[in-house]
Amino acid sequence: MTATSEIITDQREQFAFHDDIAYLAETKRGLTRATVEEISGFKNEPDWMLQYRLRAFEHFQKRPMPTWTDGLDKINFDKIVYYRKPSEREEKSWDDVPEQIKATFEKLGIPEAERKFLAGVGAQYDSEVVYHSVKEELSKLGVVFMGTDQALVEYPDLFRKHFGTVVPAEDNKFSALNAAVWSGGSFVYVPKGVEVPLPLQAYFRINGENTGQFERTLIVVDEGAKVHYIEGCTAPIYATESLHVAVVEVVALPGSKVRYTTIQNWSNDVYNLVTKRAHAYENSTVEWIDANTGSRKTVKFPAIYLRGEGATADIISVAVAGKGQHQDTGAKAIHLAPNTRSRIVSKSVSKDGGRATYRGHLKVSPGATNVVASVRCDALMMDDISRSDTYPYIDIQEDDTSMTHEATVGKVSADQVFYLMSRGLTENEATNLIVQGFLEVFTKELPMEYAIEFNRLVKLEMEGSLG
Amino acid sequence: MTVASRRPKPARPARQAPTDFTLPVSRAAIDAVTPIDGDPDWLRTDRQAAFDAFEALPAESNLLYTTYFDFRNVQLAGARVTTSVASAPAAIEVPSETDGLIVIDEGDLVGAALSAEAMAGGVTLTTIAGLSRQDPDRVRGLIDGGTTLPMDDRFAQLTRALWAQGIVLDIPAGVRLLRPIVIRWTAGAVDRALLSRTFISLGDGASATVLEELIDSGLSKPDGGQSLLAGTLEIQVGRDASLALTSLQELPSTTVAIQHRNAVIGEGATLHWALAQLGSRLVRSRVDNRLEGDRSSVEQVEIVFGGDDQLFDLTSYTHHVGRDTTGNLLSKGALLDRAKSFMKGMIVIERSAVGTDSFLGEFGMNLSKATRSVAIPSLEIDQPDCRRAMHASSVGPIDEAQLFYLESRGIAPDEARKFIVLGFLEPVVARVPVAEAQDRLREMLEARWDAGIGAAGGAAA
Repeated sequence: MTATSEIITDQREQFAFHDDIAYLAETKRGLTRATVEEISGFKNEPDWMLQYRLRAFEHFQKRPMPTWTDGLDKINFDKIVYYRKPSEREEKSWDDVPEQIKATFEKLGIPEAERKFLAGVGAQYDSEVVYHSVKEELSKLGVVFMGTDQALVEYPDLFRKHFGTVVPAEDNKFSALNAAVWSGGSFVYVPKGVEVPLPLQAYFRINGENTGQFERTLIVVDEGAKVHYIEGCTAPIYATESLHVAVVEVVALPGSKVRYTTIQNWSNDVYNLVTKRAHAYENSTVEWIDANTGSRKTVKFPAIYLRGEGATADIISVAVAGKGQHQDTGAKAIHLAPNTRSRIVSKSVSKDGGRATYRGHLKVSPGATNVVASVRCDALMMDDISRSDTYPYIDIQEDDTSMTHEATVGKVSADQVFYLMSRGLTENEATNLIVQGFLEVFTKELPMEYAIEFNRLVKLEMEGSLG
Repeated sequence: MTVASRRPKPARPARQAPTDFTLPVSRAAIDAVTPIDGDPDWLRTDRQAAFDAFEALPAESNLLYTTYFDFRNVQLAGARVTTSVASAPAAIEVPSETDGLIVIDEGDLVGAALSAEAMAGGVTLTTIAGLSRQDPDRVRGLIDGGTTLPMDDRFAQLTRALWAQGIVLDIPAGVRLLRPIVIRWTAGAVDRALLSRTFISLGDGASATVLEELIDSGLSKPDGGQSLLAGTLEIQVGRDASLALTSLQELPSTTVAIQHRNAVIGEGATLHWALAQLGSRLVRSRVDNRLEGDRSSVEQVEIVFGGDDQLFDLTSYTHHVGRDTTGNLLSKGALLDRAKSFMKGMIVIERSAVGTDSFLGEFGMNLSKATRSVAIPSLEIDQPDCRRAMHASSVGPIDEAQLFYLESRGIAPDEARKFIVLGFLEPVVARVPVAEAQDRLREMLEARWDAGIGAAGGAAA
């Protein structure tokens, strides 16, 4: 089509890195009851957690593999290492983080981000939180921001009160797997009335071939409190399967406001299967801002259960599916209380034979009167070897619901590309600009440095797409 | 498989799975059915193959829709499958505004007649059994292999296995009929199950309007056993041909209606559906539109007006295969009392379908607290080079501002509600291609509203 693509080099390499880390402890490949006991043993957990893990493990074994999406049967659970521990204890300050790990994080630009802008950093290196700092002022406010394992030790009552209440182990096969072998993740507690002034940031990445990463994040925002939590992921590129099965639980108590922003850029061998769910109580607001690029297959539907009157849900979901990738993403808003509102906006891009699927669920239960809900999905296809699917489920059981839904699928308009090229842009630049414009509803919700990173990821994905 | 539960559950009677189909059917029943004289071997083999498929298939083979399948209201355990039908038709007259009429009463042929123009054009309108006496090869060509019914659909295969009555309408190439042909089925007799097939073919350049009426035979009893009417429309629209098909379903509230409409649309051809679903206890309908020819188009409007415990389980598949094809589907539903609707619409754009324009709209109005509207408008797209690929849906209550406006003009609240609901459905009614069917549909909708159904909604508001 054009020569421009030939002069563009794939910059992916610079984001792909893999350091040889000496792990202090790890389990054997494969998953058995003994593995679960071993993980719990490494962590010196209370007995209730061990029992919980074992129950979840039993459920995982019994539960059939879901068939509504394809390709999951290719996961070889026996090849996965379920737990790796790279360093002995949680590091309290950046200076204490081992040099080799620090060098890896340098490539991701974390220290700078932390110093300049962000309130706290929780960096997950494989399966354990190795570095965590919360600014002093937040500690004074009573905000808890730490690794989930640490929270189990330091805040056992708070932890146990909320853990597994939003996403029960038995929710689905993968939530059961996570509950059985979970390790790491973030724990956030914001006390009553406290507004966290800056976003809390956790940076995740997978290192180590075939390392399963099963982090568990629990965010509890007390009455009238407010927080913005950000996580982003990059991962080294490997040829064999990697598995990421996470569970995120958010409890938004009455009057609180929670925003959870995720950018995921998994390497192309990762199965990324995530259960993310929030419970929104009276007059609270929950926002999922969720972007998925990379991975072999992502299955993720951020969900909000509107349990209290007057609660609001806002979900923006973005997916970019490239060669060999299937982004099976979407959103769910379940209205269980009167006067609740939800808005779902989904944007997907598929290219080079990738497949982008939107799957959504909007439900208004009996008793949830005066609901206002909207769903909008737009898909952009870059070529005719890619595929785009839209499967929204809308289930309304009240007579005064106001629901609107719209979905469109299209391609980059030749007119727009032509116009931009006539202004001196190359075809690639023009396409990039159009795609970035298409995704702007998402990008504009991000803090600036994330917006820059996201646009860079999109550019990376788009490189040479018209060639 | 067993899943151990942590809490002991109180003992309760085994809940009927929503997928259970209570109609007593067996392999022996196939042998008992003789849809055409002599029951040729090929037909028996075809029906047996269908029964095998019926037994092997799940109630809903599309995994997207398995959670929205609900046959709990179907109670056909006492029903008997009709195995043979009477074929001693009386002479009937063609109504003046039509080009043809065929009437099947509880499975039995009452009569069939064509206008002079239709006869001059060589139009065929008869039962399958009747046609097989004159042209057995044609009948075999239509039926053998079952390619005009979805192979993955359990209930389509049941119909293919157990059909006892059938109709063939052939419009030869170049014949353009100006007035509608009416196909009238009556059903509802207590404990009767009738399965049937209807074939409609239009030759190249032909044009026709068909009005299908599904009405009460007068033999139903409100507290009597349920009846089943399973029927198909297996349609071929030839090159540059044009078919408008209107179906008005007002079966009694004890009837279960299962419908499969499958159309293959040729190059430059158009098919225009207008489907009104008013009656029945449960309707399970599936429409498959295959836009195979380049520049072929389908327009489909569908209307649902339900009350009581009615369930309308409606699926449509629009399959774009040829170049520059057009699909335009619009469904509107108004529900009262405890009525439910599942509207499942799928647009599939294959890689070959460059230049597609496809739209699917599903709009609902829940008029009582206990109603339920489910919309699953889906897209599966392999070819982005399209004019349009979109769907839209909405569910909303009666607009208070509209109500206030009408009341401020001196219209009584109940009357105003009626106007708003009928006005909501009117854009679909207005697209029914037969003027007289339009009027009749308006009357039916109004009558339904007035028959207490509207009053119930008014009381709930």
